[in-house]
Amino acid sequence: MTEQGEQTNNVMIRLDGLIKKFGNNTVLDGISLAIERGKTTVIIGPSGCGKTVLIKHLIVLLRPTAGRVFLKDKRIDDLPERRLDKVRTHYGFLFQGGALFDSLTVFENIIFPIKQHTRQVGWNELEELVKAKLALVGMDGFQSYYPARLSGGQKKRVALARAIALNPEVILYDEPTTGLDPIRADIINELILKLQKELGVTTVVVTHDMTSAYKIGDRIIMLHNGKIIADGDAEHIHHHPNSVVQQFINGQLSENDLAALRLGGTKFQTQFLPRDFE
Amino acid sequence: MFQVFSKKTIQGVEHSGQFARFFAQSVSASASSCLQASSYSMVWAQMNVIGVHSVPVIMITGAFVGMTLAIQAYDQLAGMGLEEHLGVLINISVVKELGPVLAAVMLAGRVGGALTAELGTMNVTEQIDAVRSMGTDPMRYLVAPRFLACVFLTPFLIIYADLLGILGGFFVSVVQLSINSRAYWQFSAAGVELWDLSIGVIKGFFFGGAIAAVSCYKGFTCKEGAHGVGQACTEAFVGSFILILALDFALAVIFKAIYGTIWPIRILLL
Repeated sequence: MTEQGEQTNNVMIRLDGLIKKFGNNTVLDGISLAIERGKTTVIIGPSGCGKTVLIKHLIVLLRPTAGRVFLKDKRIDDLPERRLDKVRTHYGFLFQGGALFDSLTVFENIIFPIKQHTRQVGWNELEELVKAKLALVGMDGFQSYYPARLSGGQKKRVALARAIALNPEVILYDEPTTGLDPIRADIINELILKLQKELGVTTVVVTHDMTSAYKIGDRIIMLHNGKIIADGDAEHIHHHPNSVVQQFINGQLSENDLAALRLGGTKFQTQFLPRDFE
Repeated sequence: MFQVFSKKTIQGVEHSGQFARFFAQSVSASASSCLQASSYSMVWAQMNVIGVHSVPVIMITGAFVGMTLAIQAYDQLAGMGLEEHLGVLINISVVKELGPVLAAVMLAGRVGGALTAELGTMNVTEQIDAVRSMGTDPMRYLVAPRFLACVFLTPFLIIYADLLGILGGFFVSVVQLSINSRAYWQFSAAGVELWDLSIGVIKGFFFGGAIAAVSCYKGFTCKEGAHGVGQACTEAFVGSFILILALDFALAVIFKAIYGTIWPIRILLL
């Protein structure tokens, strides 16, 4: 097999010239990206830069304005919804707020995808399956709880158990540590590492939490103004020459912005102000 | 001024197109759900929420419609010495127009508001995206059971409204206004045909579909935040209400044409 062929086989998801516009606002501006199989790719960037829009394109929850999305070399962005349903069973998606179904218990939430896609699973088998999935995220025993009774961190862990219910090949995490205290955020980081190691899944994480990005990322990509401005391992990003990258990873405003702030001005020059794209 | 008008017109056309597409998808998903036995439990659960829980409020609505009609119409008919014909006026109004329309409006408020709020909250908390991300069609899982429950149970709820409207009118006419009971029923039976009762019930299928489609559409397209959900609920009720009235008018025209064509020759057809 050629080197090119090996590289293609190693790619799980590929984006080709992805453009997404909401009205006149271009959120993603020609993103081309190959996500490696079995690795953890972290996408960083300021709030409102389009990270969530990007991750939703990976599973085609949003359709691109232009460009293509491939899963294992098969184009998926042009498939009708009915055919996409089957494709999406290859993915697990952890939403920012967990997105657990309020009206269902933890048990019912986790069996939801199983019941939708697996025929004739016995009740005992389902119970065992849910127990195993919850044990993986340290939430066994919470089967009868409704989401309203769970804390933010617990909701994300249950949502993670639901995301892995169908044994996906790819797990997508949208801001998994946002809104959690540092200890609970670290629990989620450890879980991401554990699942990646034990299940061998391809992982894509969207975050603006640099501690998390450095800890879990095999590869870190920075998104800014709809384009990729940095791409490499943690070391590469840490020493990246681009001032915008340095500003972001160090969480510091530029001298000009600080001066404007001290003067009580409102016209910040920073490029990190979120854009209203919807 | 012209620009604003043009923009609003374009937006209106765009929303109408989106709604038409959503409605077509709802009908398609509902039709396929009818053929899948695994969907029946979800439809059954929605029938309980939408239908069974609405019975008391629909019965109260129907009863008050009948009673109010009796009070309002009595003086006019009594002035002409036709008070014994009160039953015809009440019952034909209840079964043909007021029962179906007011029951549907009440459902639009009770059920439509709840559907929009529930689906709207699911939308803004990404639960609908979660359904899609797990390879499930939200139209089939969320919309179809609600659509089917509304379409099939609204006619039954209209029958309840009609029944209580008839009883309410009878109660006020006979007990309070002292109209002869036998004459009241005789004139009613002579004046109200099976056709009148049928078209009231048939309207229920259309009203139920309209309530479900508008409410689910507003829930699916609602904007973020508490304000977004609240606004979607208001728009769902107003939209359902207007659509019910518009459908009522359209169906009245259609049924009148059908009645004029078929009813006189019904004996030949049977």
